[in-house]
Amino acid sequence: MRRLSLVAFVLVCAFLPQGLAAQDPLRAFQRGSWQAILNAHAGRPMMVNFWGVTCGPCKVELPLLGKFVTDNPGVDVVTVNADLVPNAREAALSMLRKAGLSSTENWTFSDGFVERLRYEIDPAWQGDIPRTMLIARDGKITTIEGIVELSKVREWFASQAIETSPESTLQTHD
Amino acid sequence: MIRTAAVAAIALFLQGAANAQMSHHHASEAACDTTELRCATKVTPAFAPDGTLWLAWMAGGRISVARSRDHGKTFSTPVAVFDQPLKLDWGPDARPSMIVDRQNRIAIAFSIFRDKNFNGEVLYTHSVDEGRSFNKPAPITPGTESQRFVQLALDGDGSVFAAWIDKRNRVRASADNQSYNGAALFFAWSKDGGGTYSETRLVKDNTCECCRIAVAFAGSGRPAVLFRNIFPGSVRDHAIVTFGDPTAPGEIHRVSHDGWKTDACPHQGPSLAISPKGTYHAVWFTSGEARRGLFHARSTDGGQTFSEPMAIGRPDRNASRPYVLANGSGATIVWKEFDGEKTTVKLIRSGDDGKSWSQPRDIAATTDASDHPLLVGNGSEVFLSWMTKADGYHITQIKDAP
Repeated sequence: MRRLSLVAFVLVCAFLPQGLAAQDPLRAFQRGSWQAILNAHAGRPMMVNFWGVTCGPCKVELPLLGKFVTDNPGVDVVTVNADLVPNAREAALSMLRKAGLSSTENWTFSDGFVERLRYEIDPAWQGDIPRTMLIARDGKITTIEGIVELSKVREWFASQAIETSPESTLQTHD
Repeated sequence: MIRTAAVAAIALFLQGAANAQMSHHHASEAACDTTELRCATKVTPAFAPDGTLWLAWMAGGRISVARSRDHGKTFSTPVAVFDQPLKLDWGPDARPSMIVDRQNRIAIAFSIFRDKNFNGEVLYTHSVDEGRSFNKPAPITPGTESQRFVQLALDGDGSVFAAWIDKRNRVRASADNQSYNGAALFFAWSKDGGGTYSETRLVKDNTCECCRIAVAFAGSGRPAVLFRNIFPGSVRDHAIVTFGDPTAPGEIHRVSHDGWKTDACPHQGPSLAISPKGTYHAVWFTSGEARRGLFHARSTDGGQTFSEPMAIGRPDRNASRPYVLANGSGATIVWKEFDGEKTTVKLIRSGDDGKSWSQPRDIAATTDASDHPLLVGNGSEVFLSWMTKADGYHITQIKDAP
């Protein structure tokens, strides 16, 4: 029994990092993460916002995004910290928290070879942020540079005919 | 049993520590954390008039300098310009700027982050003992607002021209409840090889606050500065100014109508060279409505008008970071492309001052993070200077004729 317990303990320790990673409020965005996000949300319309702590317009946009998420709890929203200056983890989490995005699916670039990360997302993207991608149910991607107009995002989600349960119905008010 | 558990726990701890170490360097743009050249993320080259190659680099929170008398085969023992770690501006377009004059005086300027909001401060230092020691870095201007992207250039008469991006007028406008886009372009001169600088003066308000600027000389006392401007409607296209004399910035001219309307930070500034015949060569990146990607244009009327932009590189290969140099051997442009696995430095050359260009060819490649590719000239010779995480520093002579 003691031997079994030890084996179980070692196994739990061995797999703990991966288990914790799934709960991480700021997940490590590495090679393959983009495809993993697309796969996880396949068949559902999704908004992905790329932002950064040092990005001035992002400071304006992120709280608006937080309100959008609060007002539209059924929609798939993902944020990816893609700052061109490496951000401290706590600084990124603090900004997400202040914007009301703590519970959103949040990722942060975690590979020094950022060209490769960006290439997987969009080979033509040079890294300017903020940047928003709207990924349709059929996988079609619409890219918006700069601060996104959330009224247009609402219209886009509506055009995607998302399921209309009370929790997921898109709000039409501001 | 207890011993087995202890061994297992220690093994897991060591594995975790090793993974953390690997993960740290995996996530970093640097190969290592110390101050050697191999750990650098940004390397700036400069040839002294006597043919010595000097490098200034950012590594381990320091700026270090070394010289090579054999075109980069061997380097002297590095000297840190300051003996304390600095919060160096590590934005994509930030790097130390360096010139070496005929007396082998070395002038260096760079920016640090002065606070947690990433506001920058431009510092300068210089050496009068051929790089054995440097003055304590000092602010180039007394302003307390954000300053970044300083560029030094050596005039033919030995004067040092310094230009940078400065937010002082934005702060003033904000205090007056007035809106202000971007930052401003400011300049100063040094008449003692970079030991002291003149009073700071404005070139132009409302320039992009997050892109490097480029400087070349149209003649003695006549620097030209190419920068990403903010035109009405938040259009971040390029503009150029050529000084009439050292204190008189000339008229601002638009280089192209790309129509990049954005409130995002491009983090990608231009490069400028002026050939011995006086032809201006400008290269830049845009994501405008009229065109997207990298472009070259030339001016034969002193930067007043520019040719129709010529596309460079493959936008679907993330073509980026263009750099141009023009000297007696012709004009040369390099840039980076990425194919999903490796970054390649591409090169084109022109023997007719930019009227026609060779087909692109690969001159270097790497499979991990890398600095911008830069060109540095020594009389009629041209070299590629490129720092890579995986393969270290390259200084490669471009030998064949255009």
